[in-house]
Amino acid sequence: MMEDQEEKGNAENGIGRQKQVKDEYLLQFLDSLDGYLTLLDSLSSTLSQGWLELASARHAMGASRINGALLDLKVHAAATSLKVSEQDVDSMESQPCFTLCKWASSDNGERSSGEEKSLSPQLRHRNNSQLSEEKVSTRTGTPLILVDQQRQKSLSVFGVLVSPKLRSAQLSFERALETLVEIANLHTTMLSMFEQVHKELENTNG
Amino acid sequence: MAGRAQIPTKSSALIAMIADEFGVVLLCWDTVTGFLLAGVGNVDLRRKTNYLIVDSKTTVKAIEDAFKEFTTKEDIAIVLISQYVANMIRFLVDSYNKPIPAILEIPSKDHPYDPAHDSVLSRVKNLFSAESVASGRR
Repeated sequence: MMEDQEEKGNAENGIGRQKQVKDEYLLQFLDSLDGYLTLLDSLSSTLSQGWLELASARHAMGASRINGALLDLKVHAAATSLKVSEQDVDSMESQPCFTLCKWASSDNGERSSGEEKSLSPQLRHRNNSQLSEEKVSTRTGTPLILVDQQRQKSLSVFGVLVSPKLRSAQLSFERALETLVEIANLHTTMLSMFEQVHKELENTNG
Repeated sequence: MAGRAQIPTKSSALIAMIADEFGVVLLCWDTVTGFLLAGVGNVDLRRKTNYLIVDSKTTVKAIEDAFKEFTTKEDIAIVLISQYVANMIRFLVDSYNKPIPAILEIPSKDHPYDPAHDSVLSRVKNLFSAESVASGRR
């Protein structure tokens, strides 16, 4: 009798723990979904601002100074890139984690100092002595000059003297990029949680 | 560890863009231009860019080819695609299931973002509506 009651108690505890795990996955999934939609809304606002500033710059500088013919088709590396690292979700699964490296590349292939935006609190940084130097120099403020040079170089496609609105548009699209990287990280988390919830639902139905 | 999917790590990956701009020529490429101002433009030694500007003359085949190219290149980590353009190749976008590059559908100037068309969100919606039908039957 006592053994039966103990077994029944253990079974109930097991079912309770299973339900707790399922609820946890569902909550994490819903949290990431909410964050995803909120960030998309924020992105829409930022992009709208950028488009408006670009239109204002075109109005101020003239359509001939801002058109497709001026796009730089010479061989050049992207000044803003991404770092992809692996983030452990659990012992059997890992997911990618994106970090934006703004204005961190130069044409000659050497990595110049730039701004590294770590947008995931769980990111594990790889040991990279060059990145360490960049972080140190960021604290002293020196790379901001190089960042400004890179920004100016990007603007120079449209001439030497550009409208302040074009500079504002550049900053808006930089903000949009930061939001997009946050969205990408939430996107992978959301997909991962979605798979977990899907599996749990199948197990329940099966 | 057995059974663990490997995520390729990269120290310098690109963002690719497929953005739509429909309408008057002068307004055709604002989204791509904005991101190029932010420094994501890349032109390789073969003079191939990491972006495609979609206008009224761009065919669906060209968009499909660009999507397939960007999603198979090893140095691309995120592909940005206007949702309006994604709707033209919806089957291709919905059937894509790799973690990298991540596909992000973004609004365009003339077409605001619609959550109902988002690839991931529509999958979620289908799952939960199928589940509610199944539980109703039970």
